[in-house]
Amino acid sequence: MPLIKGKTGGAGGGSDAQQGALDSPDADSRWTAARALTGQADAVPALAAALSREPISRVREAMMTALIRIGNAASIEVILPYLRSQDASVRAAAIEALQALPDAIAPFMTPLLNDGDSDVRLLATELARNMEAAEATRLLCELIEREHHPNVCAAAIDVLTEVGTPEALPTLERCAARFAATPFLPFAVSVAMSRISGEES
Amino acid sequence: MDDSKGGSSFAVHISPEQVQRFCEFLYRRTGMSFAESKRYFIDRRLDDRIAATGSSSFQEYFSLLRTDADQEIEHLINSFTVNETYFYREEHQLRCMTTSLLDAIVRQKKPGAPIRIWSIPCSTGEEPYSIALWLMENWPQVDSYNIEIVGSDIDTRALKAAAEGIYGDRALMRLSRDIIGRYFRPVTGGNHQIDEGLRNSIEFTRANLIDTKDMTQYRDFDLIFCRNVLIYFDDASRRLAAENLYDCLRPGGYICLGHSESMSRISPLFRVSRFPDAIVYQRPEADHG
Repeated sequence: MPLIKGKTGGAGGGSDAQQGALDSPDADSRWTAARALTGQADAVPALAAALSREPISRVREAMMTALIRIGNAASIEVILPYLRSQDASVRAAAIEALQALPDAIAPFMTPLLNDGDSDVRLLATELARNMEAAEATRLLCELIEREHHPNVCAAAIDVLTEVGTPEALPTLERCAARFAATPFLPFAVSVAMSRISGEES
Repeated sequence: MDDSKGGSSFAVHISPEQVQRFCEFLYRRTGMSFAESKRYFIDRRLDDRIAATGSSSFQEYFSLLRTDADQEIEHLINSFTVNETYFYREEHQLRCMTTSLLDAIVRQKKPGAPIRIWSIPCSTGEEPYSIALWLMENWPQVDSYNIEIVGSDIDTRALKAAAEGIYGDRALMRLSRDIIGRYFRPVTGGNHQIDEGLRNSIEFTRANLIDTKDMTQYRDFDLIFCRNVLIYFDDASRRLAAENLYDCLRPGGYICLGHSESMSRISPLFRVSRFPDAIVYQRPEADHG
């Protein structure tokens, strides 16, 4: 019989890691420390400092996850600046982390959708995707009504296509008219309107 | 959720646009994708769930689904997936294990080091026993290594059933009569009990994939089968589960997910590994920035 009974309890777990271990020169130690601090609200400042200097992507992931599991306003404030990163992978990691917190992100949505940087506004539209439909529709419609950047409008329309309620229809119609010279937007609007109304375009 | 109040006779109109909207949500949330030819299949199940939740329209149901009220996503996934488990399910992954994965694993092994395989969630044991049977039948080197198989689940009732190893005909439908004859014995009720030696060779334990502390006792696995469970989790729980699984694997170890699941959509921690029989995910040997 070559199969032998398996054992649990292999190489240690590291659940006793301290916040100080986030400063370790060893990536595995920092990873273990971040994992051990998952959900511990008092660790937000230490995680924030560590995240800002962490060069290894998997350790950054673990720090982001630790902050997500804390899920309070302080942890969101740590993640938000990474939406402005020059590194696309860091921006993507930030958006994925914030998307996992649809309730906690709500108070931050209005400032994000009013941000002076169109890239931030564009990314922020994606955060509405996991929000409650009526609130997501309200926020995205307010954005579309005042937005001049066609790509930001397109991103908002794409989210509305999935989550929008019929209250979005007048805003979408106005958007299509306003951007009539930008052909892809009226097309995107027609798709969104048909999905929302449940009727073929 | 009271499913009894619904029924297939309750129907609301669902337009093609609404089906498309639903399918896009389903894909983004679970990775499940259905071709247009599956329209009847989708309509039927959507209709059932709309009725079961007492929704009066697609819009009402879709809103409920998006907020995951009363764990509707779990109910929906159950209605779209084959919930029953059976021996040799997703056989291509078992074939991949013996034609590709184990060769790669043993190349890294020190002499005498065991090969550790984990089935989580193992439900009532069909998967870990399938792994054992497949190895005995299809891997010529099986006698050259100590192979440890652990089966874990959050449900202790399922684990008790797994340890007993008694199965009906449906669970055995993919096994040849020859294999059933050699590894099972008939018991009451037309059922079959798996060989005592196999039962004793597998460790069954309770484990919660998203409990990091609980998961620290599981380490150094070379291969993990974690199929059709991550689709049930929300984004935050999936991330945590992926990190826990990463820690449970040896560097260079592999993880097999269900056919509709993609680790790439959950976490960047793993590398996609394409083999002739299956696509699996590998924990990298080392960090690369």
